[in-house]
Amino acid sequence: MLTPAELVWLIAAVAKGDEAAFERLYAATRAKLFGVVLRILRRQDLAEEVIQEAYVKIWNGAGQFNPGLSSPITWMAAIARNRAIDVVRKRSELSIEEEPAAMEVAADSPDPLARREMTEELKRLLECVGRLEPDRQKLVLLAYYNGWSREQLAAKFETPVNTVKTWLRRSMMDIRECLGL
Amino acid sequence: MAYSEDHIALAAEYALGTLDADERAQVETMMAVDQDFTAMVEAWQQKLGVLNQMVGSVEPRPEVWDRIKAATGLGEPQAPLVLPEAPPPAATGAVAPVAAVDTSNVIRLSAQARRWRNVATFTTAIAAALVAMIAVQAYRPELLPDGLRPKPRVQVVEVKTPSVPAASAQYVALLQKDSGSPAFILTVDGATRNFTVRRVGATPEPGKSYELWLVSDKLQRPRSLGVIGGNDFTIRPVLSAYDPDTVNKATYAVTVEPEGGSPTGLPTGPIVFTGKLIETVPPAVAAPAPPPR
Repeated sequence: MLTPAELVWLIAAVAKGDEAAFERLYAATRAKLFGVVLRILRRQDLAEEVIQEAYVKIWNGAGQFNPGLSSPITWMAAIARNRAIDVVRKRSELSIEEEPAAMEVAADSPDPLARREMTEELKRLLECVGRLEPDRQKLVLLAYYNGWSREQLAAKFETPVNTVKTWLRRSMMDIRECLGL
Repeated sequence: MAYSEDHIALAAEYALGTLDADERAQVETMMAVDQDFTAMVEAWQQKLGVLNQMVGSVEPRPEVWDRIKAATGLGEPQAPLVLPEAPPPAATGAVAPVAAVDTSNVIRLSAQARRWRNVATFTTAIAAALVAMIAVQAYRPELLPDGLRPKPRVQVVEVKTPSVPAASAQYVALLQKDSGSPAFILTVDGATRNFTVRRVGATPEPGKSYELWLVSDKLQRPRSLGVIGGNDFTIRPVLSAYDPDTVNKATYAVTVEPEGGSPTGLPTGPIVFTGKLIETVPPAVAAPAPPPR
């Protein structure tokens, strides 16, 4: 994995149409982005389509990347993840009922890192998430990692959708306050 | 910038991913017209994005890169391993139909007709989902909290639209390449059929102009609605020449033309942005339901 500074440099080169830089950027980031969208889409073919669209968008939109606002990998992952969420929200048939196996992969923290491997930002966020009630911690992490809808979360927590809505909203506001946003 | 808690929650839940498709479209439309709101969404994406550190990497198949290269048009000119000098004439003809353009009007026209048909059919859905919020911003800003109201210059347009009663339909289209990057916002007043094009990002190359076209199944060819001026707003009454049904169902497309517009009355340059009009009244329906308190 390249350093964030190297990624910023590559994105700047991509913004100028540098094809070699784009290939290096892809090589350095594809596995992370694919991991993120595959977890949400849980289907290889859909995940490949989303990754393809995301990198086309990155190629076209590299000039809009602002290193002052986002880290490069987060910016790229957000493009891919947003596309993946759009796809699952529009495909109501991709529900958990039809894919019972998908429930099994739904660990809250998919790839636990040793604490020393975490960035300060991640530690801080996890601290704030950790202050939520246990059920809500799980709710937020399942929503983020698995891209679940409120309906899917309601089924998982055996609670009405409106309750999930309220929980999600409260949780985000609590996290906001905790982070000082 | 002071946003209501509803809108902060909307930005946060967009980044979290729990909004439904309509709400996501609403957020994306708000982002298209409100930089401060975009910054708030991006701040949330950055804060939550660190969670991706814990997601395991998975290698995509090599074919994916091939498809990305094809979709972005990368590495194509270098592909053939032929001698660079003196290509046989047959080869130049076979490289692309474009090469034949200069020698055959027939081919050019039929290719154009096909292209425009494609525009009319393919672009139908692109802008549709994104528009409701803009509609509210453009026509019922009083429904929105301070932070989401359009900038003062949008109010100027409001003044110019006649003071027809609220019953009059209002229409909005985002003209864009792909979702999330609109270049123009087209608004049409249902009563007067005056239209306004608001520039939100696009700037033509020097010596070129953007020209707006109406593309409809009912018309044999695209009709020019005029060159989009250099100002932020271009206001014209030309649509009154068309019946409402045509206006409502048409695809609106922007091409790059020589400065001052197409010399032939037909589009000559590439289509760069397209969109469809969405009716935005009654406001009670157009206004998205706020998240529960």
